[in-house]
Amino acid sequence: MHKCEPLYIERFSVFQRLTHLLVIVSFLTLAVTGMALKFAMEDWAQWIAFMTGGFTVLGALHRFFAIVTFFYFFLTMILLYTKWKESGKSLLGFIFDAEGLVPNLNDLKEMIATFKWFFGGPRPYYGHWTYWEKFDFMAVFWGIAVIGSSGLALWFPEIFSKFLPGWGLNIATIIHSDEALLASGFIFTIHFYNTHLRPDKFPLDPVIFVGSITVDELKHERPREYDQLMASGDLDKLTQCRAPEAWLKRLSTVFGIFVVVTGSMLVVSIIISMVKHIHF
Amino acid sequence: MDNITKYLSRIVLFFFALFAVSFLLPGNSLALTNDECIECHSDEDLTTEKNGETVSLFMDIEIFKGTIHADNGCVSCHEEADVAGDEHPFPMSPVNCENCHDEIGEIYQNSAHGLSISDHNDKMAPRCKDCHTKHNILPPTNKEASTYPLNIPFTCGRCHREGTEMTKSHDLNQHNIIENYSMSIHGKGLFVDGLIVTAVCTSCHTAHNVQKASNPDSTVNRDNIVDTCNQCHVGIVDQFKLSVHGNPDSTTDKKRPICIDCHNSHTIAQVDRKDFRLIIADQCGNCHAHESETYLETYHGRASMLWGGEKTAKCSDCHGSHNIMPIKSEKSMINAVNIVETCAKCHPNANQSFTTYLTHATHNDREKYPYLFYTFWAMTGLLVGTFAFFGLHTILWVPRALIEKFKEITAKK
Repeated sequence: MHKCEPLYIERFSVFQRLTHLLVIVSFLTLAVTGMALKFAMEDWAQWIAFMTGGFTVLGALHRFFAIVTFFYFFLTMILLYTKWKESGKSLLGFIFDAEGLVPNLNDLKEMIATFKWFFGGPRPYYGHWTYWEKFDFMAVFWGIAVIGSSGLALWFPEIFSKFLPGWGLNIATIIHSDEALLASGFIFTIHFYNTHLRPDKFPLDPVIFVGSITVDELKHERPREYDQLMASGDLDKLTQCRAPEAWLKRLSTVFGIFVVVTGSMLVVSIIISMVKHIHF
Repeated sequence: MDNITKYLSRIVLFFFALFAVSFLLPGNSLALTNDECIECHSDEDLTTEKNGETVSLFMDIEIFKGTIHADNGCVSCHEEADVAGDEHPFPMSPVNCENCHDEIGEIYQNSAHGLSISDHNDKMAPRCKDCHTKHNILPPTNKEASTYPLNIPFTCGRCHREGTEMTKSHDLNQHNIIENYSMSIHGKGLFVDGLIVTAVCTSCHTAHNVQKASNPDSTVNRDNIVDTCNQCHVGIVDQFKLSVHGNPDSTTDKKRPICIDCHNSHTIAQVDRKDFRLIIADQCGNCHAHESETYLETYHGRASMLWGGEKTAKCSDCHGSHNIMPIKSEKSMINAVNIVETCAKCHPNANQSFTTYLTHATHNDREKYPYLFYTFWAMTGLLVGTFAFFGLHTILWVPRALIEKFKEITAKK
């Protein structure tokens, strides 16, 4: 029955993997350059500014990767558009697809089941996207809208103030900076743990770089998707014998760990700085 | 007969007076000549014992001939030596410059240096010779003089340089003054640019009337500093006296700044240099603490803490420096009639709406900035809520995942 052992199935296309790479590089740079300004009174922030060549360089990098962010946002829209066309569904049908990226009632049930699992219940019957993965995806959408719009206002304050009062820039500053704190804090702790640092993946789940997982992993981690593919008979069509290239795996591990360590260092610096400035 | 006696006695009196006056004249012909002194004192090996130390009594008359006192006889100053014959009393009293320089002498006697000697018997306090030298006294316009502007920091520095016996044994308010001075705009003017019109020690402290800053008569006392700086910085002081900080007609009872509160006395920096620009907020913050703190919360303030941050707007870029006026004045840079122009220095397309940006905003003041306050707390609520939920989610996940991993490992065995 099996073509070979182990058998692989693609989870992320090359397009998706490259998009995520853009997300990593731009998000990490935006976080480092932005937090250096937000926490400018801290030694680590001053070190970052010094090492990169000063706050004008930080500003230039921040704006460049803001453009990259808008670019991958645009790429994602193209990706979603092609997926929608491939699916042959109506627009609403595609957006609210039971196995799509928009959270639904089943995700709530799965979340409750997950909390039960934490306390010894059975492992939930996860599908193609778990609720925390959906949250990550939707959070980037929400984050780009909020951080992006407030960031544009701060980038072009004179134009902004033609439409809104100048003190709106003060509000934009708070929103931009705190939403960014939320995004960085979330990605560098919760996303890192949920996806990479949890004991069954530690230190890194390379699937976002190499693209495929084994069918055994699929069966264990996403039983509902496995059962759906078995039922539809698509599994055989989608599986392949070719394992991810060894060099790609190695490169992914090195790069991925570098990013996880950098992000973690930044978040630790932020936490220490915030605790230092809390006055009881 | 009476007339003859009177006449003779007048002649005697005349010669007596002539004789007496002749002692006061420099190089008087009746007194001992310099050549006579030099007969003995040109001997380079001539020495004496003084307080257990061997002191040279050699006098290089050639050097003396080039000094401002060249026309004076040795005995004009060393009066006791003026006795007929080879021997003069020994030891002799110290030379008293006040015999001729009586006005300066009186000023000096009442200066901090002079009083240290008369009131406290301070052995380290300088006398005339310590600054002017003994025999090699040249006019202050002579490059070789110890009192020539280029040499003054070295002359004063002999005692006031950090680490000398004087600085170690005296309780001084200021430290490293020579080092700081040489790094200051005045010191660089002197040492780097070679300007003799730059301020040296004596320009501010005076030469002979040096007083502690706490003395109300001191040129460096708070009440006199503006006038002292006004000796050179006339145009600036004119502006300052019209400003909210320096207006002499002001009736405010608040403490107002003087020159040295923003421009430190000895470390005074070039104001367009980054080391000065980076401390402006701190300087103004000494009095305007709240404005300084809230400024540092904004983009301008945050960026100014980073490398290259001297470029962003500082207090003086918006408020001015010596010409700061009350905001109600139309001369104020931040008055409604001027503020667009002020912002436009950096933001060329600034408009009236743009100027409502809050440059001293804080989200901690609900009364003053309710929008910022509520935005901040809404965002904080979002952060706390998200992290609380997912934090709990992760904390509960960790032990379960570890148990699963443990099961997996043991199952393999």
